[in-house]
Amino acid sequence: MRSKILIIALAGTIAVTAQTVGRKIDFPADSPLTAVSSDWSETRETPRGGAYLLDVHAVLSLRNSSQRRIRGVTLAVLAQEVTTGGKGSVSVPSLDVAPGEAFPLRIDLPLLCPLGAGGPMVEVRLDGVLFDDLTFYGSDKLHSRRTMTVWELEARRDRKFFKTLLETAGIDGLQKEILSCLELQRDRPSAGVQMVRGRSTNNDPERELKFAFLHMPESPVDPTGGSARIAGNEARAPQINIQNRSDRAVKHFEMGWIVKDQQGREFLAASIPSDVNLAPGKSGQVTQDSALRFSERTLVDSMTGFVSSAEYSDGSYWIPSRAALNDPKLRSLIAPSPEEQRLLQIYHKKGLGGLVAELKKF
Amino acid sequence: MNRHVKETDLALYASGDLRLWQRAAVHLHVRNCQSCSTVVEEFRADGRALRDAAAGLPDGVDWARLSAEMTANVRVGLAAGECVAPRGRHAHKLIPASWRPVALASLVTAMLAVLLVGGWWLNMPSQETQALSRAMRSIWRGHSAMPEERGPVIEASSEGIELRKDGGALGVSQDAAKLMTVSVSTQGSASAHYVDQDTGQVTITSVYAQ
Repeated sequence: MRSKILIIALAGTIAVTAQTVGRKIDFPADSPLTAVSSDWSETRETPRGGAYLLDVHAVLSLRNSSQRRIRGVTLAVLAQEVTTGGKGSVSVPSLDVAPGEAFPLRIDLPLLCPLGAGGPMVEVRLDGVLFDDLTFYGSDKLHSRRTMTVWELEARRDRKFFKTLLETAGIDGLQKEILSCLELQRDRPSAGVQMVRGRSTNNDPERELKFAFLHMPESPVDPTGGSARIAGNEARAPQINIQNRSDRAVKHFEMGWIVKDQQGREFLAASIPSDVNLAPGKSGQVTQDSALRFSERTLVDSMTGFVSSAEYSDGSYWIPSRAALNDPKLRSLIAPSPEEQRLLQIYHKKGLGGLVAELKKF
Repeated sequence: MNRHVKETDLALYASGDLRLWQRAAVHLHVRNCQSCSTVVEEFRADGRALRDAAAGLPDGVDWARLSAEMTANVRVGLAAGECVAPRGRHAHKLIPASWRPVALASLVTAMLAVLLVGGWWLNMPSQETQALSRAMRSIWRGHSAMPEERGPVIEASSEGIELRKDGGALGVSQDAAKLMTVSVSTQGSASAHYVDQDTGQVTITSVYAQ
C-alpha cells in the first residue's frame, strides 16, 4: 500500500514538473508589428510552493508592418495580470525601424504564476509602439506612451547636442565630451533601494524631513515645498507642493529624488511620478503611499528633489535641456538617457568613426 | 651580472640536497658570485656546528622516553598552575554531587537550544531576520512596534532588480547584455536598463509590484 502511494506521489510530481510553459503572442489584428519568429527554448519553469517560477527567456523577431518608422516598442509580458510577480514589461527605445524591416527583441524576465489545471502560461501583448512622428499605437495599460515619448525626446535632444558639438568643436571636442560622459557613467554612485508599498516594518523613531529642491529654469512645474517621513534607513510617504508656472495645464510630472546619507554619500534613490490636473498658475499637492528602504548603514540625512519631466494636458511634453542637466550635482547623479547609453556603447565598440556615422544617420 | 640564487636553493646546495640539474646551474653561479659563495660557506659552517653539537649528546638516547618525560613535565606545570589559581575557577566543585546530573542536563538543553535557535535564525529569510532584529531592537529601546508590511518589495541595486514577497525573490538578469542603470518608481515598479554590447540596442526590463 505504502509503495503504491509513493508511486502515485512520484507520478504526480513528474506530471507537475514536466509541464511545459505555454506561450502566446497576442498582437491585435491591426497591429503595426508582426511576429516573424520566436525562440522560447531557454524558458524554464520550476514548481515552488503553490506556484510556478517561470524563468522566461525568449528572442522574438518582429517586423514593422506599418508605413511609418518605429522609434520604440513596449511589450507586456504576463503570467497572471493581477497578482504580484505575474507582470513584467520589456521596452526597446531608440529604435529606427523602417517599414518592412525586422528587428530582434529579447525577453529575459522571471514571472510567477499559480499552479493550475492548464499549466504555466506566458502571454506577450503589445502595450505600445511609438513612431517617428511621435504618434502612438497600443493599449497603453503600462503608460508606455508617456515613457517612450520622453525617451524619444531625450534621444533627439542628446543626438542634437552631440551633432552640434561635432560641428562646433570638431572631432576632438566630441571625443572629449564622450570620454567625460564615460567617466561619469563609471563613477556614478548607486545604492540598494527597496520600494515598499504602504507602511513598512521599520520600528525606529520617525521624524519629518523637508525636501530641498533643484529648480530647473524652464520647468513648467515648480516645487515649492515638501517632506517625507524618515525612520532610520527608511523614507516614506513623500509629499510635495507644486505650482504650475506655465501657461498650459499640466496633467503629469515626474520628480527625481536624491538622498544624502549621514556619511555624505549622495545617490538618486527613486523617481516620483504623479498624475495631477493643474491649471496655469495654480498650486497643488501630491502625496504617495510608498516607502523607500536603503541598506542598513544608509541613514538618511537630507533629500533633494528636481522635476525631470512634465506632460501638458494637450499631450505635449517638457524635458530638461542639456544645459539644465549640466548642474554639477545632477550631472554626477542622474543616469544618462537610453540614447546616450546607446551612443556610448557604439563609441566603445566601434570607436569615434562608428559614433560619427551613427550620428549622421539622423 | 645574473640575479642571485634564492637563499633556500643555496642552503640545499650547501648540504648537497639540490637536484642534479639545479646543482650544476647554482655551482656555475656560485663560482662567479662572491656574495652567494659567502652565503654557501656560512651554511656549510652552520651544518658543521650542528653536527658537533649532536655529537655531545650521550650515546643511545631513547627519544620516545625523552618525549614522554617532557609531556609529563608540562602536565605537572599545568597542575601547579591550577593549585595557585583563584577559588572561583573551581566552581564546579561547589555543585553537590546529587545536583550534577541536573546541571549536566541543563547544560545539554541549553546547547541544543542554542543550536536550534542558530539554525532557525540562519535559515530564516534575511528580510524576516532583519524585521525581527528591528522589532527586538525597538522593544529593547522601548519604542512601540509598527504593523508589519503586507505588500511586496521591489529592490534595485547595482546587481539588477529583484521582486521579493513572503521570503521569496525573483531576480532579473540578462546574460548577453551589460546592465547600465536601475531605477525605482514610487508608483510600484523597478526598471533595469541593459545595453547589447555588440549593437548598442537598449532593452529596459521592468517588474511591477501590482
